[in-house]
Amino acid sequence: MSIIETHKLTKVFPGGVRAVDSIDFTVEKGEIFGFLGPNGAGKTTTIKILNTLIIATSGSAEVVGYDVARNPAEVRKQIGYVAQDVGVDEHATGRENLTLYGHFYRLDDNTIKKRVREIFDLVDLTGYENRIVKTYSGGMRKRLDLAMGLIHQPKLVFMDEPTTGLDPQTRVHIWEYIRSLAQNFGITIFLTTHYLEEADQLANRIAIIDLGRIVAMGTPTELKKTIGGDVVTLSPCTSDSQSCEKFIQDAQEALMGKQFVLRIQPMSEELAVYVNDAKSATPNIMRILANKSIDVETLSISHPSLDDVFLKYTGRTIRHQAGTATSYTEMARKHERKQS
Amino acid sequence: MTYFALDTWYQIVRHIRTELRIPIWIVVNLSQPVLWLLLFTQIFKSTFAIMEVDYLQHFAPAVVVMTVMFGSVWAGMGMLEDIQMGVLSKMLATPVSRLSIIMSRVIGSMVMLVVQALIIFLIAVIMGLSIASGIGGVLFTIFLIILLGMGFSAFSNGLALVFQRQETLIAVINFISLPVMFLSSAFVPPDFLPRWLQIVRQGNPVEYAVLGIRSLVNDGWIWDNIWKVLLALGLWAIIAITFGMFMFRKQTE
Repeated sequence: MSIIETHKLTKVFPGGVRAVDSIDFTVEKGEIFGFLGPNGAGKTTTIKILNTLIIATSGSAEVVGYDVARNPAEVRKQIGYVAQDVGVDEHATGRENLTLYGHFYRLDDNTIKKRVREIFDLVDLTGYENRIVKTYSGGMRKRLDLAMGLIHQPKLVFMDEPTTGLDPQTRVHIWEYIRSLAQNFGITIFLTTHYLEEADQLANRIAIIDLGRIVAMGTPTELKKTIGGDVVTLSPCTSDSQSCEKFIQDAQEALMGKQFVLRIQPMSEELAVYVNDAKSATPNIMRILANKSIDVETLSISHPSLDDVFLKYTGRTIRHQAGTATSYTEMARKHERKQS
Repeated sequence: MTYFALDTWYQIVRHIRTELRIPIWIVVNLSQPVLWLLLFTQIFKSTFAIMEVDYLQHFAPAVVVMTVMFGSVWAGMGMLEDIQMGVLSKMLATPVSRLSIIMSRVIGSMVMLVVQALIIFLIAVIMGLSIASGIGGVLFTIFLIILLGMGFSAFSNGLALVFQRQETLIAVINFISLPVMFLSSAFVPPDFLPRWLQIVRQGNPVEYAVLGIRSLVNDGWIWDNIWKVLLALGLWAIIAITFGMFMFRKQTE
């Protein structure tokens, strides 16, 4: 059953910028759906349409069974939102922040008390309930931010770049929480990211978005398959460059035309063999070369990354454009610019 | 409607709690009106003696109004912080009543101002102020300054939503607040003001608050004066709150 369904969803900002350009996708109940793209691709705009913060110019979207434009109140009751900026009240304690949200979601006092205890436990903040948020570290704030989107036990949580600006260790930590939310509580998660690794690690399915359009969609494995298999890189060389060239030539001849080989690419000191599945191909390669008495010095296997996928569909690598927001002030400034 | 009231209440608690957590803020806010009262009466004492005006009777109402005006006109800074920290957009994705977000700020900012106003009256009475309308008059004064202050608070929140930048908001509020104070008879008795100012002050909510409170303190319950003041300040509050709500709606939808 789908929990999000969009139809030709489009947002044109004043001035004519088509931030979201006629996109169609569905998100199934219980999955982690990753929206991957560089900054300015339209990820945040899409999230803000789906969580009722902005209204689409044309097209429609149904979230948890309700049209976002016609019935925003019902949508808000059932979704959680973890924004890119950590939207927690710095001058209040963790408990006060959570309790306020409990009231906003119309929970009674006893339920709020119980949930606050459970949620602090879930995000490992037990013991910090009554500390002012100003004294929290960046990772703790993000965890509280995450918790505030969960107090009403939503069916669906939107996370806009949940780990941007966090250090690598904290990032891995947040990934674990996100994964456990989906696995242990059956919460559907829609997350945007410009980290390929993040999408690869977390998402069951990924949509790659660029310049407001979805350019590719599928499971990480499916997307990588479109690149055309794994690469087995052989290096028969030791130090002698003359014998090296000969080795490469021999190996190329030996492997040419074999059924499991897609393509062979000789390089200066190594040989790249493109295969469908490196796991079954590697023993075959080794056997063939051994029969021809060709000694392989080193061998490495690489799987195509989402980076390659992104490159294929957009003609650019994402790393060059990925935002480098590192501090909250920077994020606030960015936000300010966005608003004005 | 009940949710509007409840949400407003929960957020008023949040705003007041935030204020109370800054001890220096409380100290400054409570001592500032006292300082003004002492300072201004000293400065203008001799000038007013020449004009045969009792400085304390004339000035105490003006200091109350001034405190309320300067206290409420900065209310938008809190809204701005919420916008910049992402607190507001996160809130808007919840079922919270939209209008409660701005109304809680407008109402919440009044609490401290009422306390400040009462302190000024207390000090002034100790200094020798006599209030013709009695305790009832003080309570009515509080009602008038709530109308004035809610107006300026809503106005300030509205401006915060228009500009969404701290520097701009500070500049604009500085630009507005001092002239608004001087374009009234707060500092100088009405008879001594130039002709053009006599006209301009008719459109200034601060002027009505000054006149109303001064009338209650010096002349007692003169309803001819009071209803005019009530009408003007009520109108000001309605217009400013409408402006604030309109800007909030516009920026959040």
